[in-house]
Amino acid sequence: MLKITLTKDHWKAYCLLVPSLIVFVLFMFWPFIYTIYLSFFDWNMVKPTKEFVGFANYKDILSDPITYKVFGNTIFYIVLLLLINLFVPYIFAFVLDVVLKRFKNFYKGALFLPSVISLVVGSILFTWLLNPVSGPAAIILGWFGIEMPIWSKMDGWVIVVLSVITSWKVFGYNFIVLYASINGVPREVIEAARLDNVPLWKIFIHIILPMSSATGIYVLIITIVQGLQYVFTPIKVITQGGPNYASSNAIYQAYHEAFVLYRTGHSAALSILTMLIFIILLILEFKFVERGIHYEN
Amino acid sequence: MKLFVKMCSVLTIILLLVACGNSSSAANGKDGKTVIEYWHVNAETQGGKTVEELVNSFNEQSDSVEVVAKYNPDMYKGLMQNLQAEAASGKSPAVVQVGWSFLDYFSNNFSYVEPQEVIDQHFSDDESFLKDNFLPNVMDLAKNSDGSQVGIPYSLSTPVLYINKDMLKEAGLNENGPKTWEEVREFSKVIKEKTGKYGFYMQEPADNWATQALLESNGARMLTDGQASFASKDGIEAYQLLTDMVVEDETALHVPWDQGVQSFIDGNVAMAYTTIARRSQIQENVQFNAAAVTSPAWEGKEKRLPAGGAMLAITAQEEDQQKAAWEFMKYLYSVESMAKWTEGTGYVPPRKDVAEAEDGLKDFLAENEMMQAAIDQMDGVVPWTSFPGDAGLEAEQKMLDIRDEILGGKVDVKEGLTSTEEEINTLLKK
Amino acid sequence: MKTNRFASIPWHILFIGLIIILIFPIIFAIGTSFKPLQDAYNNVLNFIPISPTLENYQTFFESLDVVKITFNTFIIAATVTLFKVFTSFLAAYAFVFFHFKGKNILYFVLISTIFIPFSVTMIPNYLVISDLGLADSVWGVILPQLADAVGIFLLRQSMKTIPVSLIEVARLDNLGHARIMKDIVLPLVKPAVTSTGIWFFILSWNEYVWPVLILKTVDNYTLPLALQMYISSEGGTNFTVAMAVAVITMIIPLTLYLLFQRYIIGTFTSSGIK
Repeated sequence: MLKITLTKDHWKAYCLLVPSLIVFVLFMFWPFIYTIYLSFFDWNMVKPTKEFVGFANYKDILSDPITYKVFGNTIFYIVLLLLINLFVPYIFAFVLDVVLKRFKNFYKGALFLPSVISLVVGSILFTWLLNPVSGPAAIILGWFGIEMPIWSKMDGWVIVVLSVITSWKVFGYNFIVLYASINGVPREVIEAARLDNVPLWKIFIHIILPMSSATGIYVLIITIVQGLQYVFTPIKVITQGGPNYASSNAIYQAYHEAFVLYRTGHSAALSILTMLIFIILLILEFKFVERGIHYEN
Repeated sequence: MKLFVKMCSVLTIILLLVACGNSSSAANGKDGKTVIEYWHVNAETQGGKTVEELVNSFNEQSDSVEVVAKYNPDMYKGLMQNLQAEAASGKSPAVVQVGWSFLDYFSNNFSYVEPQEVIDQHFSDDESFLKDNFLPNVMDLAKNSDGSQVGIPYSLSTPVLYINKDMLKEAGLNENGPKTWEEVREFSKVIKEKTGKYGFYMQEPADNWATQALLESNGARMLTDGQASFASKDGIEAYQLLTDMVVEDETALHVPWDQGVQSFIDGNVAMAYTTIARRSQIQENVQFNAAAVTSPAWEGKEKRLPAGGAMLAITAQEEDQQKAAWEFMKYLYSVESMAKWTEGTGYVPPRKDVAEAEDGLKDFLAENEMMQAAIDQMDGVVPWTSFPGDAGLEAEQKMLDIRDEILGGKVDVKEGLTSTEEEINTLLKK
Repeated sequence: MKTNRFASIPWHILFIGLIIILIFPIIFAIGTSFKPLQDAYNNVLNFIPISPTLENYQTFFESLDVVKITFNTFIIAATVTLFKVFTSFLAAYAFVFFHFKGKNILYFVLISTIFIPFSVTMIPNYLVISDLGLADSVWGVILPQLADAVGIFLLRQSMKTIPVSLIEVARLDNLGHARIMKDIVLPLVKPAVTSTGIWFFILSWNEYVWPVLILKTVDNYTLPLALQMYISSEGGTNFTVAMAVAVITMIIPLTLYLLFQRYIIGTFTSSGIK
């Protein structure tokens, strides 16, 4: 890349970064370094004395089967969230843009609606709607003789339902962003392919996907990162990580260790481990995915 | 270029403006009153209105103290969380509500003054206020394991059994509800057979309050000499009954708290074992004949019901703040305020004589019969066990984890409780 | 194309099904907010109230200064959004159009903050805010949120699609960076700016964990905090009032979206660049 003419004024670049950096240093890096520091201590957040324990917290965390359960859940959440909030809206956005002619504006507006609602509201709402005995869903299923599973107490099910609740909020925004991106793909390319009778799925894979991949990556990242933070709310409101950690994820578990059990050191160590894993993911993303992205001009 | 520099500096200026504009906000109250903060957990459904009323009327009648109430969401855990942040910043509110299960954690980690100490120092007239107005066993609830009187009991709740009389009648059962846990199981079976509905729900929040009531009433003890001891024969027997109802009979519902109460209110469950604090929610929303009866006992055994709720502790550090804190607390513990508090929250008054006093609760109790069940069983009240030491909260969590496992039918009661007891005891030894 | 008309029918059905699933909870919430609580418990299926009542709204308006609270929420969300977009824009511009020492490392370090869970930053941040004397003020809520790595990431992604030659030409014409940002880059990345802006606004509008810690007096509350006042594990949740608060909370972002829907979708699609 040619940026020769731009390289002589380094200081300006730093200057542009200063506003962000001030905020980050104060409110992100300092807490983060403090967390690394805390992860080597046994402390309960308020005691005047912290006891240095070296890597004991990490050892505890890594030898605790709950940690692996929680990381397993985290992966399950990520897979589900990606499926519901990247894969499905991608296809729906494609269909809406390329296949459908009518009701487009209505669909766009209606699908976006839930994204403006807070997940606290969503969680309370779904606690009612999905009450396995008294909720409308259970009653309607009852008409067909189906008994609703007591999802909040069942392994697996609980993650599925909490992911669905979270997706209810996330879906619309992702959909609109993906739709806009697909809509920006030049019409001539698509029309030409259609005239040649190229099947839709091929158009999707060979034209749409590569040409909207920058947005696709955006949605991918935001779904993973924000998705996990988002799931936190329904977990906290509905299950508190239960039954027996079956619905806990890495972020909730860090909260649980810090503010329910007051094991600050464990919480810190867990957060650091979680970050390490994510950073590895990020490096992979840089190495393999971004290289292949098509930035259309 | 000029434009560029401008853009860079605009942000800094705005930031400065923001910072300056705020630093002027005054910390001292109007008219030289001492301003103190009172931290509570009372949402609007749990007496939030009453807190506001009490604080306002206190502020009106006091010339020297101004109270600012701060609501903390997420109950006592949420309050502790905010208190940590506040303590870390070197400040503290003057009066806080401390949930019973946080008694040890709070007293080990935060600085507080015993109320009697403040009274002795500044209010010689009130010297015997606590002794005169509180029963010793009630005051003991707020003593930590070292015997320090951390605070004064303020909100007292006990678990009662709410029953759907119409449904019991429909199933041909005694409308006045079961008296023993054995009967609870029998009743539930009949209800399931006759109506197809669930018979029973026991509250499942993130604590072991109701579990303790069930187990200890059967003769088990959560703790004996600082060691976990719930996996005794009696403890296992008690837990087995609940598990059988959920897993084997399928007559008891196993869902989160809000859902369970919802299902009781709309008539899908005949009996619900939960706190008296839920009284107004249940009483105001049921469309059937509902009643609250005293907690079931075990055949031939004495009931032991852990007290729920909170105490008020003084966390003020400065002398004038501490003085103000007691003035406010004394107001809260007056018969009239206590009566208002009970009416607004459904808690049982911890102070003597409130229930009978003319300006107290007489009329209220006549109108709200459900309250009677909670008041009647006050003699069976014992402290809510908090596992001692630094690992106490972790031990508490282990009890919750095993509850999910047992009621989920994944482990056998005996095996589950025994192994959890061992785990907890290794923890406590550390 | 004639095959299209029939081929599209199953898709329409799918879309409508999806919309029903997504919208039903909202309709249920709105309906419930007009029901007496007793009715909500006992007739869950009638989500349209039989005898509608305003009592839930009344309860809310009587116990709190709703206008003030809505205003607080708006100030916080709007300020946070504007600043986040602004600081992210500057940073993204630096990362895309400048070469400087430590660029990649700096970018990487900034971006990795995305993965710092809030439980890590909460207490240390409170200490900073409290030292600045900003506890119990909306500015205390705003301050730690003036920059956001997600924003930098998104805008950088978007700016990377701008041909560098375009900027070079502008530089040769002696245009300052501020002018380039305003007249060349901004119009080209408007869709990304809009979408991140909306994202930040919604995020901030509904936030409650951090404001709960900072805000103390009821007059400084935000709407999501007001909602928390009707939720209690021990006393039970007042479902209908909570839904009334929820409806009020969703009104502003929803109106904003409906008003600007065309514009929003328009900015996404008008330029050839996403």
